[in-house]
Amino acid sequence: MKPTTRTLGSVLLAASAAFAAFSGPLAAADGVIKVGAVLPVTGKESKIGGAYKQATEYAVKEINDGGGITVAGKPMKIELTLLDDTSDAAKSAQLVEQLMTQQKVDVVLGGYGSHLVQAQSVVPERYGIPYVSGGAGARGIYGRSKWVFGTLSPVDILSATQMDFLSSLVAGGKLKKPLKIALLLENTEHGKDYAQGVHDYVKAHPGEFSIAIEENFELNTPDFKPLLTRVSAAKADLFMCDAHLEDFIAMHRLYTQMGLYYQMVTYGARGADAAARKALGPATDYIFASGWWSELLPYPQVKAFNTKWKAATGSDPQWYHALAYETVRVLAAALSKAPSLKPEAIRSALAAVDLKDSILPGGQLKFSPSGQAILPFVVTQNKPGDKVDIVWPAASKTGDAVAPVPKS
Amino acid sequence: MKTRGVFAAAALVLLLAAPRFLERGTLNDIWNVAFAVILASAWNLLGGFAGQVSIGYSAFIGIGAYTTVLLSLAGWHPYATLPVSAFLSAAFSVIVGLPTFRLRGPYFTIATIGVSEAVRVVAAGVAFTGGSSGLRMPAGSFDFQRDYSAMVVLAVLVVALAAWIQASPFGQALRAIRQDIDAAEALGVHSTKYKVLVHALSAALVALAGSLFAINFQYISPNSVFDFRLSLSIVLMPIVGGLGTVAGPVLGALLFGYLQIKLLSSPALRDSYLFLYGGMLIAVMLFEPRGLLGLYRRVRGRITRSFSRPVPDAG
Amino acid sequence: MNEIITVLVNSLLAAGLYATMSYGLAVIYGVMRIINLAHAGILMLGAYATLTLNSRLGMDPFLSLVVVIPVFFGFGVLLYLTMIRRLPRSSGGPSIESLLLLFGVWLVLQNLAYAIWTGDTQSILTRYTMKSVVLLGVRVGIPTVAVFSVSALSLVVLQLVLRRTYLGRAIRAVTQNRDAAMIAGVNADRISAAAFGIGTAFAASAGSMLATMYAFTPDFGRSFLLKSFCIIVLAGMESVAGVAAGAFVLALLENFVGGYTTLPTSFQDALSFTLLVLALVAFPQGLVGAFSRATQRWRRLGRA
Repeated sequence: MKPTTRTLGSVLLAASAAFAAFSGPLAAADGVIKVGAVLPVTGKESKIGGAYKQATEYAVKEINDGGGITVAGKPMKIELTLLDDTSDAAKSAQLVEQLMTQQKVDVVLGGYGSHLVQAQSVVPERYGIPYVSGGAGARGIYGRSKWVFGTLSPVDILSATQMDFLSSLVAGGKLKKPLKIALLLENTEHGKDYAQGVHDYVKAHPGEFSIAIEENFELNTPDFKPLLTRVSAAKADLFMCDAHLEDFIAMHRLYTQMGLYYQMVTYGARGADAAARKALGPATDYIFASGWWSELLPYPQVKAFNTKWKAATGSDPQWYHALAYETVRVLAAALSKAPSLKPEAIRSALAAVDLKDSILPGGQLKFSPSGQAILPFVVTQNKPGDKVDIVWPAASKTGDAVAPVPKS
Repeated sequence: MKTRGVFAAAALVLLLAAPRFLERGTLNDIWNVAFAVILASAWNLLGGFAGQVSIGYSAFIGIGAYTTVLLSLAGWHPYATLPVSAFLSAAFSVIVGLPTFRLRGPYFTIATIGVSEAVRVVAAGVAFTGGSSGLRMPAGSFDFQRDYSAMVVLAVLVVALAAWIQASPFGQALRAIRQDIDAAEALGVHSTKYKVLVHALSAALVALAGSLFAINFQYISPNSVFDFRLSLSIVLMPIVGGLGTVAGPVLGALLFGYLQIKLLSSPALRDSYLFLYGGMLIAVMLFEPRGLLGLYRRVRGRITRSFSRPVPDAG
Repeated sequence: MNEIITVLVNSLLAAGLYATMSYGLAVIYGVMRIINLAHAGILMLGAYATLTLNSRLGMDPFLSLVVVIPVFFGFGVLLYLTMIRRLPRSSGGPSIESLLLLFGVWLVLQNLAYAIWTGDTQSILTRYTMKSVVLLGVRVGIPTVAVFSVSALSLVVLQLVLRRTYLGRAIRAVTQNRDAAMIAGVNADRISAAAFGIGTAFAASAGSMLATMYAFTPDFGRSFLLKSFCIIVLAGMESVAGVAAGAFVLALLENFVGGYTTLPTSFQDALSFTLLVLALVAFPQGLVGAFSRATQRWRRLGRA
């Protein structure tokens, strides 16, 4: 068996030489804030991951072009190291680890996608390096480590906001209580959090809402017929579903073909997407959705952002662009208030930061004690003719809600 | 045998000493490769030696990972969970193996896909596994030095075990089963018994790797550990490296590990990694089904023949 | 009674969909004992081909089949000639090499799609996508009915070809016993090429039709692939009519469980996989094989 051993031996030796060749210390530079980022630029999450990359780089460039950030009197530029985790959770965590231990970054910007960020978020605690994620809203990620911050509000607040909106419709006489809800959830963390928000609200408002039926479904289910048949048999008044884009399209097509009718319809964060409009046409009318951001928000800073973004990229900004951009901005705001670039200094600055001209709903961005930003959501409703209106909260309204949905 | 023993010891010493002079990033890479080596070599026991191709091995990784995390959350020391995860995985492999080993060839392969996917769906749907949000290890259970050493030691052990099996009567029986199962039975080899045994051993080793994975990554979810694509890449490595050999799976694991690193550092390659993997598979299947090792042996055979000196076939 | 009709109608229509995506797999397996993992990739390409024809030329998806079928038949033949034919023929049984080769092809096709069309979610909206019609008291979508019709037509055409034409008989001969067929003068190589072409054409046309029902990305096809495996195993992997029967059984089970039990519908997939494994173990010849053996036994009993 000698040849096997020899083969094995030569192979391993060559490999270790190759590995050794890859390692090499990186020199530190003065007057520079080293920021690391790990995003799914390729792979399954590449569509939005790539958008996060684009917006992050844009934001960093904007800051650097504007003179950088002044930390403790010293002007500094941001040096961004952005790595691609190819949408693989294990790789994602390892890259964050690498950034912290090898490249010795001062702070890490987290990725996009709950499962990827979940994997990444166990790392900051080990090395005591601050970490800010703009791409995951699952509550389970935050509150476990003081080093982990997130700008995406929890998905259960998304559904709670939707329930608030529905309540307001009852108060305004457009809908009559008691209302029964048909709740459909994708079998992911996102779906679980969404359900939590609805459950909590229903419990707190007995007599107003009740859940007639609750069902889970797998991502990319080929046939929603059995599910929708079961749901329609439960005879509810409101249709609340949390789904990804492909499932939303498949399900709503079936919904329309089956001639189902509910007084109000939502697919969580979906509905206003251009892709949805394209796939479903007028069937998307009157669907209401909640998002972390909408370009319709009537704040001057949002209008300014829209214009800047359109000029720089030639297309309208989507919520993921806004979130990635704002995450960099809030980091910059914190850094400018930090007494030094030491990890604890940056961390305390993040915990205390209060960005007052934020483009996010509410106009103000700061982190809650768990490290996650708890911001209001906006509720938008599709209107005929490809129009979208913000219908909740009242302060950000651009149009009135239509409820119940007109029967076709 | 002695040369091999010395060699294994040397490799182990080198790898264990590595943290002293290598960067963390490189150590992570070695860890990844060690993980891949374990999976590839363990799979090869059933798939290469015995010739039963299973594309459902992610189920065992998942069982190992979840056993470790659940028990750790219940208060066990992470490393104390390893024997349990190996046992459970082996037990599951027997339950699955007994009915499915009646099937031959690709029917068996398809059955394994079915089982693995069913396990994934159930794991994602049931509450005590944390459902689709996954589970986290209890805080403070991370120790890279320890986890790195464990993975590396396990990798060397698994390869040594594979070499030992190949030379043993057990290995001979497996080879007979791969070549012609009916002839083997006629010669008195109880094929089902051997298949179940090697399957259980293989599953146990893979589960151990899964447990170590969970301990190092601290967070697992059904879609990450029970992924069908993971099952496919486990099959890829030994095939590309050289099915049924000892060095083959190691070679395959190293190659894929290397590719992963290279890919991440080159933007041009990043967008075409599917091309690369696919192309490699196609190339191997078309031109050298015995993998890189087979290619090496073919080339070496030609070179030695060109010196026109009779060389004893030391396959 | 009404509910039973609903379940039956829905199952039948879903069966049409499932059968459509499985015919291609069955033909290729039958003739060459090759498990075509690239099936999902071809399905996906068919969908994208229809998308392109629809967006650039305004062609109706069902009309685009006229283009898709011949083009992909040629593609399948090409694939066979350049790659499959080179594979070492394993002794009798199917080979793992072909499985992995075609998996490699699938990966390459995926990358191709990402490169040409990006990972954005695509969909096709036609005038009739959202419309529905009432069948036996059940409201069903028009695309579903159309897909079912094409599927039923495919089944008929395929059966006719297999029974009435030389090509069909040759295919069946090679399916039963390749060597014997060759002795009888069948050019197994050409038949295999044709079968691969047919299988690919079917897969692509399935993709085209699925594009009218689903939104898709280059990752499209994976969930269908696994279901198709289940179906062709139920069918016995060699019979086309069996595919239709297998599809119906699966669809019936799904709709029945969905409608009458409280089992979570997210377990639908687990259901099909368990069925797959059970079918493999209990009916190695598939439903049709088991059925024909049972009828043979009846006949023998009758004679005795």
